[in-house]
Amino acid sequence: MDQAVLARVPEVFARRVGPALGLADEADAVARACHAMATRFHGGGRLIVFGNGEAATDAQHIAVEFVHPVIVGKRALPSFSLTSDVATITGVAAATGLEEVFAHQLRRLAAPRDIALGVSPDGGCVNVLRGLETAHRLGLLTLALTGGDDGGPIGRSPAVDHVLIARSADPRVVKEVHVTTYHILWELVHVFFEQPGVLDPRVIP
Amino acid sequence: MTDDMEALYPFLYSQSTDLDAVMSSVRQSTVEKIDEIVTLRRTVLMRDGDRIAACAEAMAEAFAAGARLFAFGNGGSSTDAQDVATLFMNPGGAARPLPAFALTADVAVVTALANDIGFEVVFARQLAASAFAGDIALGLSTSGNSRNLIAAFEEADRRGMLTVGLAGYGGGQMAELGTIDHLFVVPSASVHRIQEAQTTVYHALWELTQQALTRTEAGDGDDGP
Repeated sequence: MDQAVLARVPEVFARRVGPALGLADEADAVARACHAMATRFHGGGRLIVFGNGEAATDAQHIAVEFVHPVIVGKRALPSFSLTSDVATITGVAAATGLEEVFAHQLRRLAAPRDIALGVSPDGGCVNVLRGLETAHRLGLLTLALTGGDDGGPIGRSPAVDHVLIARSADPRVVKEVHVTTYHILWELVHVFFEQPGVLDPRVIP
Repeated sequence: MTDDMEALYPFLYSQSTDLDAVMSSVRQSTVEKIDEIVTLRRTVLMRDGDRIAACAEAMAEAFAAGARLFAFGNGGSSTDAQDVATLFMNPGGAARPLPAFALTADVAVVTALANDIGFEVVFARQLAASAFAGDIALGLSTSGNSRNLIAAFEEADRRGMLTVGLAGYGGGQMAELGTIDHLFVVPSASVHRIQEAQTTVYHALWELTQQALTRTEAGDGDDGP
């Protein structure tokens, strides 16, 4: 066996530990995001998710997580991704540019009570930012999963209500923190559902 | 003043108290789940670290000989399969793009096979149509029991492909097949934690495959057995 490849394995795994533990620092932001999402679902909102490249697969994972719960007895919640319709994506990209692909779909498909969730590992995806800005203007609750030090332009955008940042410069590690984050978001949204009294809009902090 | 308000709107105050309690338990739950995944990854490293390196070397050898990678899975694991494919195809930076397909990406093919024959053949039939001996089949399942994965690994084995499987729990049927050259079982009972650790496993396979390919091409990859 190639000893250099073998020697690299512990380093690859070690690189995950700090950023994974760092998510604990976001526990309060995660709780507030879950409460806001649960309140929107309670009011009939749907979760609309989008991202590019590898994050496009996260968008689809998040949508299926909510629509088809892995835990028996949990309520299915309405969600869809904006990354699955290849005809629309390539059509909009060819006609007006890739930066419009999510905003275009949101303008046609979203309702003001819905939730927009953008995934951008470096916080710099122009089309994700434009989607979130469009969603914010339409009245949607807006959330972003980003990475890097401060979440990039998306993390700093006033159009984003809840920003959850995975603190790593390695895009694969950022993705892994995001997967844990959205699994937790899904599970804890249901905790709020089990306490319907806390979903009254009048008690949102 | 507060007493008057509370008399007028008692629901508001009782719910605020409830909310604080729920927020607190939700924060605690987040911290517990993070501890679970950090511990689980450590277990995977201890159990399978050496085998992950060996699998990456086998994948690098296959790619060097012209292999293409076919990835497949259902539900959340289908998104992992697509992530594997795009990670190899378009990794960005200085990494080398490698040929890879996700067998879940073509909805026309998947629905045609499922409608005309059955869902258990949607991956196996695509491998039969497109894969050659020496290509790589990589399937992901949390249960290890998905029938269309079992059928795909049987087809891949028949065709002489290099087969890589990611499973959870105790490995399910995938652990009993004998058709998977490199099987990684994430020992957890949580679908979520299994998926999170599987993501690390395929990220590690990708990174180490890149490293092994670079070393092979530089001619310094032959460090003996």
